[in-house]
Amino acid sequence: MDKRIVAFCCENSALRAAQNVEDPAVLEAVELVRLPCTGKVEIGLLLQCLERGHPGVLVLGCPVDNCKFLRGSSRARKRVDMTRKILKEAGLDEERVRMDFLSSLDAHKFQRIVAEMRARLAAGRPKDAEEAPAEEAAKGGRR
Amino acid sequence: MITAVQKPFGEIYSMVQGVPRLLVLGCGTCVTVCMAGGEKEAGILASALRLANREKGVSMEVETDTIERQCDREFFDPVREKVEKADAVLSMACGVGVQFCSEVFAGKRVLPALNTRFYGTTEQQGVWAERCAGCGNCVLDRFGGVCPVARCSKSLLNGPCGGSQNGMCEVDPKNLQCGWQLIYDRLKLLGLLHLLEENQPARDWSTGRDGGPGKIVREDMVLDS
Repeated sequence: MDKRIVAFCCENSALRAAQNVEDPAVLEAVELVRLPCTGKVEIGLLLQCLERGHPGVLVLGCPVDNCKFLRGSSRARKRVDMTRKILKEAGLDEERVRMDFLSSLDAHKFQRIVAEMRARLAAGRPKDAEEAPAEEAAKGGRR
Repeated sequence: MITAVQKPFGEIYSMVQGVPRLLVLGCGTCVTVCMAGGEKEAGILASALRLANREKGVSMEVETDTIERQCDREFFDPVREKVEKADAVLSMACGVGVQFCSEVFAGKRVLPALNTRFYGTTEQQGVWAERCAGCGNCVLDRFGGVCPVARCSKSLLNGPCGGSQNGMCEVDPKNLQCGWQLIYDRLKLLGLLHLLEENQPARDWSTGRDGGPGKIVREDMVLDS
């Protein structure tokens, strides 16, 4: 069986959203990893997922201004940005690691994030027009 | 502590080309504190190298380990076997550690993954700043504990110069505080402004870089052979 996309989910938001996803195909496409807060993710951990053959990694946390632990999402975002920089410097597609922000009610958004990630990975490097900086998404701009 | 930053990945990657078995060796002291070359950073760099190799179809075994310090001989013992198996060591220590690793394992190629910067302090998490130039003749008593050698861009002992504006240095007016403004403010706080009336004579720099590579010998501590 092919390795799935790893989704590191904050248990206060993204994980609850994932639990409300009804489409089984979406859940089959991802391996959910429960975190107390996305502020727990480390750059080395994200890179290890790729090293172990996972096609992509998602870090899904609370909106930056609504993080249960106040700064967890913003810390995670910086680490994801650094991971993407490392990937780019190493000649890999930085889109293989992405962060997004959602509330516990955003099951539909969770589905869309996974679908977009799968499409990006299937297509290889995405077009510039499809890129959405993490900062924009953090403000809740991508609904 | 000694501070450092990682070299650009492209420079490191060029350096390790043609090495079949590479050991990325972290250092657990200064460069761990400044988050440049500790266990975590060694793991990240090793991962990035493996991913880059896989992407480019390059065959290279990348192993990683971290020792307490790369500037003391005894700490190398636990990794001796790994070093011997590797064709090259990519040291994530400061320049001292890289050179000493090369001395300990004579005949083994040791490559630097970091650019060593300065003796500094952690001003806040993620921010390090220079405090000492290692000149070998400390004058902090005369300047309220603020070093004119390290913190004045021109290392003036009789400052300030005309480039001090609004407390900032002309070398980088947006980011660099004038060392002499800091000295003045500190001496004023301490009630020691009169110290600035003393003219500092030209000093002997032979205890610093001008004297060539430094060496300290403590006769009472040297073990008999």
